[in-house]
Amino acid sequence: MSIDHSRRRALFGLGASLGSVAFSSMLRAEDRAARAPLTPKPPMHRARAKNVIMLFMEGGPGHMDTFDPKPALTRMHKKESKLPYGLETGFKFFVGSPFGFRKVGDAGIEMCDQWKHLADPYIANELCNFRGCQAESLNHPEALFHMNTGSRLGGDPAVGAWASYGLGTVNQNLPGYVVMTELALPQGGPTNWGSGFLPPHYQGTRLRPEGSPILDLAPPAYKSRQHQRRALDELARLNADHLKSLGGKSQALQARMSSYELAFRMQAEVPGVVDLSNEKPATLDMYGVNESETGQFGRQCLMARRLVERGVRFVQIFSGGWDSHDYLERGHSARIKSVDKPMAALIRDLKQRGMLDDTLVIWTGEFGRTPDNNKRGGVYSLGRGHNNRAMTMLLAGGGVKPGIVGATDELGSSAVENVHPIRDLHVTLLHLLGLDDNKLTFFHAGRYKQLSQFGGKLIHEMIA
Amino acid sequence: MAGRFTHGRMLTLVAALGLCCCAPSGLAADDKRALHQSSADRLFTLRVLPLLKAKCFACHGGDAKKVRGGLNLLTRADMLKGGDSGEATLVAGKPEQSALYRAVTWGDPDLEMPPKENDRLSKAEVEIIRKWIAAGAPWPNEAARKRIQEAEWSVIENEDGRIVTTSGGTSQEWTYRRYEPADLWAFEPVQPKAKLLPQHVKPGDAIDYFVNRRLVDRQVKPAGQASPRVLLRRAALDLTGLPPTPQEIQQFEAAWSRDAEKAWAELVDRLLASPRYGERWARHWLDVTRYADTGGMSNDFERSNMWRYRDYVIRAFNQDKPYKRFIVEQLAGDELADLSVLERVDGNWKAVHKAQLDGDYNEQEAEWIVATGFLRLGPWDNAMVKKEEARQIYLDDLVNITGQTFLAQTLRCCKCHDHKFDPIPTRDYYRIYAAFATTHMAERPVPFTSSESQERFDTGRAHLQRMLDFAVAEKNKLVEKREAAALAWFKAHNLLYKNQQQRRNLPDEQKPPRHVGLNHIEQGQLKVREQDEWIWRRRLERYEPMAQSVYNAPSFSLAWNGARKLRIRRNAKPQPVPQQHILSGGALTARGDVVQPGVLSGIGLPVNAAADDPFLVTPAVAGRRLALAEWIADDGNSLTTRAIVNRIWQYHFGVGIAANANNFGAKGGKPTHPALLDYLATDFVENGWRIKRMHRLIMMSDAYRRRSAPADAALVNRIDPNNQLLSYYRSRRLSAEELRDGVLAITGELVHADGGVPVMPEINMEVALQPRMIQFSLAPAYQPSRTPHERNRRTIYAYHVRGQADPFTELFNQPNPNESCELRESASVTPQVFTLLNSETMTDRSIALALRLQRESKTLPEQVDRAFQLVLGRGATTSERKRLTTYVGDMQAYHSRVKPTPTVYPTKITRSLVEEFSGRPFEYEEILPIFEKYQADNKPTDVSPRTRALADLCLLLFNTNEFMYVQ
Repeated sequence: MSIDHSRRRALFGLGASLGSVAFSSMLRAEDRAARAPLTPKPPMHRARAKNVIMLFMEGGPGHMDTFDPKPALTRMHKKESKLPYGLETGFKFFVGSPFGFRKVGDAGIEMCDQWKHLADPYIANELCNFRGCQAESLNHPEALFHMNTGSRLGGDPAVGAWASYGLGTVNQNLPGYVVMTELALPQGGPTNWGSGFLPPHYQGTRLRPEGSPILDLAPPAYKSRQHQRRALDELARLNADHLKSLGGKSQALQARMSSYELAFRMQAEVPGVVDLSNEKPATLDMYGVNESETGQFGRQCLMARRLVERGVRFVQIFSGGWDSHDYLERGHSARIKSVDKPMAALIRDLKQRGMLDDTLVIWTGEFGRTPDNNKRGGVYSLGRGHNNRAMTMLLAGGGVKPGIVGATDELGSSAVENVHPIRDLHVTLLHLLGLDDNKLTFFHAGRYKQLSQFGGKLIHEMIA
Repeated sequence: MAGRFTHGRMLTLVAALGLCCCAPSGLAADDKRALHQSSADRLFTLRVLPLLKAKCFACHGGDAKKVRGGLNLLTRADMLKGGDSGEATLVAGKPEQSALYRAVTWGDPDLEMPPKENDRLSKAEVEIIRKWIAAGAPWPNEAARKRIQEAEWSVIENEDGRIVTTSGGTSQEWTYRRYEPADLWAFEPVQPKAKLLPQHVKPGDAIDYFVNRRLVDRQVKPAGQASPRVLLRRAALDLTGLPPTPQEIQQFEAAWSRDAEKAWAELVDRLLASPRYGERWARHWLDVTRYADTGGMSNDFERSNMWRYRDYVIRAFNQDKPYKRFIVEQLAGDELADLSVLERVDGNWKAVHKAQLDGDYNEQEAEWIVATGFLRLGPWDNAMVKKEEARQIYLDDLVNITGQTFLAQTLRCCKCHDHKFDPIPTRDYYRIYAAFATTHMAERPVPFTSSESQERFDTGRAHLQRMLDFAVAEKNKLVEKREAAALAWFKAHNLLYKNQQQRRNLPDEQKPPRHVGLNHIEQGQLKVREQDEWIWRRRLERYEPMAQSVYNAPSFSLAWNGARKLRIRRNAKPQPVPQQHILSGGALTARGDVVQPGVLSGIGLPVNAAADDPFLVTPAVAGRRLALAEWIADDGNSLTTRAIVNRIWQYHFGVGIAANANNFGAKGGKPTHPALLDYLATDFVENGWRIKRMHRLIMMSDAYRRRSAPADAALVNRIDPNNQLLSYYRSRRLSAEELRDGVLAITGELVHADGGVPVMPEINMEVALQPRMIQFSLAPAYQPSRTPHERNRRTIYAYHVRGQADPFTELFNQPNPNESCELRESASVTPQVFTLLNSETMTDRSIALALRLQRESKTLPEQVDRAFQLVLGRGATTSERKRLTTYVGDMQAYHSRVKPTPTVYPTKITRSLVEEFSGRPFEYEEILPIFEKYQADNKPTDVSPRTRALADLCLLLFNTNEFMYVQ
């Protein structure tokens, strides 16, 4: 900014008094009304978690290659499979996991040998491994929609939208529901974090991994913050005069006026969240921020902690590449490597800061993988198909009981104990947040709609 | 929000059954008891048992092992026994001691039954349970219940409501259930005009008669007429989606001062005659029908010819096609074409099928087939979905969208069960499903008509061909490398070379590894190029004389990746027509009754009054949809006619006469002016189903022309906060399209066109280049059209990709095309501010306007004034002119010291993707040839500090509420 001092005072002094003091006090009541959709609301019952961080492994991690060992498969490796499930056709053969397994922590969570950091008992003791969940769809976007919105069709509100709808959010300068993805969007795109029929305030806001964290957050470089302040003050004056000409009252117009002031505050707040330069080097190292394999996911996990710290209700991180139809060993070991250290760091960090009790961390894919595979291009491909009857997930903190819940059959082909459809997971998740899925409803298209679509059961076994 | 299940009616019942007070006093005690007993028996049979069935038995009735909490409610004895908790579930005569009663009151947070908000008993229903227990909880036997039941069913209407005759539910309880008559408003015949409008009221005054009648009733004074300037902007935006120019304002104000009524009537006629009208109103239709140029889901394959349907809709509005025909063409245009050909070929169906394959159609037939794009608008992709399920998803989508679009009914509810609130049995859902069961998707050869634009075909095709050639060349390099390695392998093993197809089924020992000669990077690249080849071939079909349509056939076959190429496929041998069953719970395996193709039975409008079942259509392969469409478009179809006039009304007033334009059921909003709705529906039918006439009728009313501020704000806020009485005009925010198109019009950049292949406007560059996962690959980057002339067109012509919404239009609530949108959201959310203030597109527009101001006006104060004229349709006030002249001057000083950075357009980008199978990342290059000779709009670097300062003012004005709202 290079306008001389006295001139600047003349310019911005007037503006500031209009925009920041007189004008905003005039609008205070309506300002609150405009923000009402996101003001914090009390839970319906005792909440075990205030926030959620959901780590979404897009593509569907193989349960038998991560947390649910199947020695029987190793014995039957490459033997013909007659299992009738999945969409693979023709000759199918069993695929043993390329990884060894061991039990870690007090609860004896079984982890493949690729998990190095998560296996630290300090972390592992916090984990609940749920093996009873069943998806419905066999294809990525539908299954992603199902896990994220409760409906396979896409277009319904996302879990995070329901949570913000039910609880509002603590920090009014940040969105209540934040999503981080890789550079490439997951299949189905923003429909995975949409607000569906809920008002648009509840939709997930994507913090972009590169470029501007929120689209068009900052003005073009040649317009300074003072330049923008002046513009906003002039705008406020035009809008105030216009409002007066209409008789002085209009909730919609006033809400829109205050959204400019909120935007101006967000412009200051959001870059601070994204800027990791004031984190200690040890913290950055712990998350693997400076390593090539873990850099992106590590940064996002650290960002997730910072967002939750600042009162963001629901954070979701998508990490892809788990769809190992072939080259399972290479694929899964590389994927595990990219998330192992950051996840462990996140749980450790939350625990050390006393935030884990209030923060529910979930690690899941959209479905699991099959014990068998078909030939690809005529050769034995060591990979797995999509499995909607069995999968694996990890949960930590936020009122979750460490240990193993549920079981899959000997081959990992289907969940057999503590079997629950996705809607039960959703019901449980809301329950931990102090929300009752049956009461968290929104009237739309002729009925009271809810996340679980038509109700579900609590998974008591995973609740502490 | 609609009310819950009506309480009043239930209370009436309880009173009617004589339980509230005692029996007549003259009776002996025994008689009293007997009477009491019979009333309680009736209460149980007619009210309590159905409630238990509906709300309790799913968890507490049946298999002893499965019942929740060990509590069975199936019999009185079970109830008395109670459940695991040991609490007394039922204490006859003592509701307060009965856990059953306490649970349904939801008084105790630990004991709330049924547990779902949706299922919770209404107060009246709770009262029924209480009365029954208080009366000793009698449980008459089945024979007694049957007697009570049959006696009740023989009365169509009583104080409990009305029984609606339908094709029959899956249970007698449903078939004979009673509806609150007020909830059935949409199912009743439309009242004739004579019953609605007194003779002394002129037809032209009808709307105001109905509206004012209510205002007088409630003693609310309506707001006065808005100023001519406000009215002009309102009318222009409502009808054409574009703001009036300063010249038009001037002319209109002059005409208004000569003769206001005449000026207004002429204005409405002029706007309706403008080709811009169809572009605006087609968009409303596309919101409802879910227009997109791609199919969504895994692959988001392009539906390359969908633009022809978009243009068909625009033409239909511009030509004022009778709505009746519009319905039939969209639902059954292909059948109309078949019949037309059939006549030409003397009834030879083989020749009809040949015409389908050859695309041998005249202009009218071509237009009809293009109209059936309606049947192809839902998101659909069968990748990794079982064949039968993929088919069900498609047919369910057709039933559902047909119901919402034309009949304002939510039919999807009935996929699994009889409708919970409305007289629509699941049987009717499956009858309509069966009417679509011979319908199959296909891209069909259909010649272009003379009214279709083939502009930009050459440049568009050349660009896509270049993209295709690049993909194929890159693919071939990799294939050659692989095959060279394969050849070497075969040689080394002393075997004869076989190409990939030939060696596919050989045992492993007799052929090289699958990706021989390629490392994981090349493997990944090969897959990307193979997908790209498909994508570009598919997109090249935009320029082919093809249409996204359907055809009739008894059976279907579907490739695993069927969505990428759907063509007419006929079996050589005649196939049997498959039978349709009711699918209980929507499950393909749970086959219930066989159903015939048919229509909704609840409105009592027959397809063929003389038939045994008057609600069935032909069971033949062809003709089902046409019969369904003709039934929908029947003059007597009260759902259809009310639905369309209600939509038209809604787009003029912001809210329909009935608030839920897609749902006229019990749970939708009730009409605020039912007589008006009926009057309009009748008038619409009597005058040939013409939409333009309806606009005139509405816009000529006083109700439409009111000011946007209420006459007495305090009073209105108190008694009519939602403006249901229409005492003032409900101001509205500009829609996404009005905003983008309006700004382009104001800057002078808007290029008008009459349809054609989608245009590629500039979208946020980060989003345009953002990688996007599709099955096996990344979707190619979005490249805008090369020149402003090609890209700065109305938003309705923009390329609509399901998986990649334009963030600008999305932010301003252009609906997600996966669900029918009855009414758009218009909430102010903060990201809108970021876009309006900071985006490149708004910066560019502000510069374009600044340049226009400089061209058209000399001095700064004049330019300020002109900016106000162009953006807000009025001159600046003296103080505004003074203040903003100072502002621009200050900003000029600012900009003279700050240098913007130039925009750089990449001509290629490097993509990184994790190889799906190996989990390892690889890179590949994608070309962006559009940017090689790109004609950018004027950028900050192209203009002087003076222009940039003026642009700051323009941006301000575009951000004002005065611009963003229609008053």
